[in-house]
Amino acid sequence: MTDDHVDIHKLAAEIEAEVRARRAAGEYPPGFERELDRMFDRFAPPEVSNDFEAALERSEDLVIVDPVIPVASRSPVLGAVKRVMSKLLGWYHVWLAQQISALATAINTALRLLGGRVVDLEHVTGDIARARGVGARIPARRDDGAWQTSVTNALQGCAGRIAVVECGDGVLLDALVSTGLDAYGVEPRASVADAALARGLEVRIDDGAAHLHAVGAAALGGLVLRGLVERAPLGELLLLVDAAAAKLVPGGRLVVCSLRRESWGRDATAAEADLVAGRPLHPDTWNAVLPEQGFVDIQVHAAGADAYVVTATRADE
Amino acid sequence: MTAVHQFVPTLAPRDAVGGHYLAVQETLRGAGYRSDIYSYEAKDEYKRLARSFTSFTGDGRGEPTWLLYHSSVGSPVADFVAARDEPLIVDYHNITPAPFFSRWEPAVAGALMKGRRQLAALETRAQLGIADSAFNAQELTDIGFERTSVVPILIDVVKAFAAPPDPATLGRLADARARGGADWLFVGRLAPNKAQHDIVKAFAAYRRLYDERARLHLVGGSSSHRYETALCDFVDALGLGDAVEITGPVSAGALTAHYETADVYVIASDHEGFCVPLLEAMHHRVPIVAYSAAAVPETLGDAGLLLDAKDAYTIATAVHRVVTDPDLRLQLVGAGVERLREFDIAKSRRKLLDAIDGVVGPAS
Repeated sequence: MTDDHVDIHKLAAEIEAEVRARRAAGEYPPGFERELDRMFDRFAPPEVSNDFEAALERSEDLVIVDPVIPVASRSPVLGAVKRVMSKLLGWYHVWLAQQISALATAINTALRLLGGRVVDLEHVTGDIARARGVGARIPARRDDGAWQTSVTNALQGCAGRIAVVECGDGVLLDALVSTGLDAYGVEPRASVADAALARGLEVRIDDGAAHLHAVGAAALGGLVLRGLVERAPLGELLLLVDAAAAKLVPGGRLVVCSLRRESWGRDATAAEADLVAGRPLHPDTWNAVLPEQGFVDIQVHAAGADAYVVTATRADE
Repeated sequence: MTAVHQFVPTLAPRDAVGGHYLAVQETLRGAGYRSDIYSYEAKDEYKRLARSFTSFTGDGRGEPTWLLYHSSVGSPVADFVAARDEPLIVDYHNITPAPFFSRWEPAVAGALMKGRRQLAALETRAQLGIADSAFNAQELTDIGFERTSVVPILIDVVKAFAAPPDPATLGRLADARARGGADWLFVGRLAPNKAQHDIVKAFAAYRRLYDERARLHLVGGSSSHRYETALCDFVDALGLGDAVEITGPVSAGALTAHYETADVYVIASDHEGFCVPLLEAMHHRVPIVAYSAAAVPETLGDAGLLLDAKDAYTIATAVHRVVTDPDLRLQLVGAGVERLREFDIAKSRRKLLDAIDGVVGPAS
């Protein structure tokens, strides 16, 4: 090995930092990446997971089974045989196709009826998914200054990458990076993420829960949850805790930044509180929930009068 | 004499996993085990090497008999071995998570989900889970396998990648190179989890920022007609039809020609259980730029530039660095040659036998 040997891990980090710096300096064609994403999405089929109506329509498109028997062949003889077989068996295939189509149509009709009932239910009880969508479009305006010191202190000495989920415009993330921590942000709202990117920070434009689901097991040294923890319904919050336990390395630090329930819905958070299904947990609730997923050393820190910070450590296995 | 018979969904030539089955058989037989291959289907010249899985009715010799099931997709073979009484070992080559295919090929997504359900059902029967990578082994552990061993895919890189370059392909690619511009290469089936669309995005950024004469070669068959169509439409919409080659399946000679004329191998996959083409790229001394996901970092080691981010500019900038820095290129190529030694087939055979001996006991 010569003196010219390059540390490729360091080089990869340098390249990523260079891209962030050039992006922040406006050296890249504006909107080019997003235009690429939009262009490919034009040709991709719709996502099947979220849109019930689209999934149903797609299913209905496939309901009618085509009874045309393929007779093409590279061999003229085989082609002739296939055509004869097709004529002989055509009536049977049509009969079979009609049976299958009838079954599929019946199932689809039942699904439509079921869908209608669910919609009626949602009208009565409130459409959680729609409310979540509306709420997620509202930037989570928080005064990061309130908890900045607690978060920074909790993460000092943290080995490995730190994800700040819902990093917003990047004030907190910037503070962490400034102290030498290897932190990156996740922010679902592109317009808000742009503000963080403009600071030269590393930010993934992604849903926080989806991002955590995608990262590898024990891949994170630290995890900061912000914004999302005040809006998500209880079931999703518990899933988020599961994900945090799975993605943090043993000894990794979890930090939850949250408004207090009493201050939720006042001032800047009024619209959020009106539109979303969740609300902030009481600090003691985190004390009850986190140990079940293997977190220890759980501490609650006041962050001004309106907010608190929970810190916890992923136990060694 | 103890028997360890393999049960596989498909045995096909020119397929890394197919080669693995044969190498496993050779290894087991070499160690003194009796070992046959039973498959759902066998293709082309491999037809004579396997029997139909339904023809297996037990060994009938009164000697210990084990079943070794290879899991990579949903298959009736899994249900068959689950219903047998013989002790079982599962060799897991990874099953792509169904959500990657849900929007593109719902039927394929269904088969993948079935494969994972079958794998979970085999957990109660299996005495050992063998996995190509620690990533795959972790998946086995997550679904309840108590005992796992990591055994890399058995591949003799010297023999497997030894085809001489196809002269016609080599000539065509060399002509294009003579006009200038870097050649990007990715080898793998067109599939949503392999994210060729992200490579195209990075390539578009690279052409815009660094090298407007660059070319991209996406080599391999297709696992999704819809994804392939969308990718082709995307390339056309970007005006890159002349710069991006989507080859479809190619001969071994044409594949060698592509490696021999590539400046860089770029991989942006979101999910790989092992990724044999990384070894191919190392063998052909092509430097690698890779997005760090699933088993890619494990297979790659330090033999490539591994990126945590996969946005277009980051990949483009990394490729530019590799293509324009001869020392870095040399270092990566050298590291690739070193890394390949870790996957030396003799070592992998030893690991396989250690794992098998550990549960089955000596061959005789």
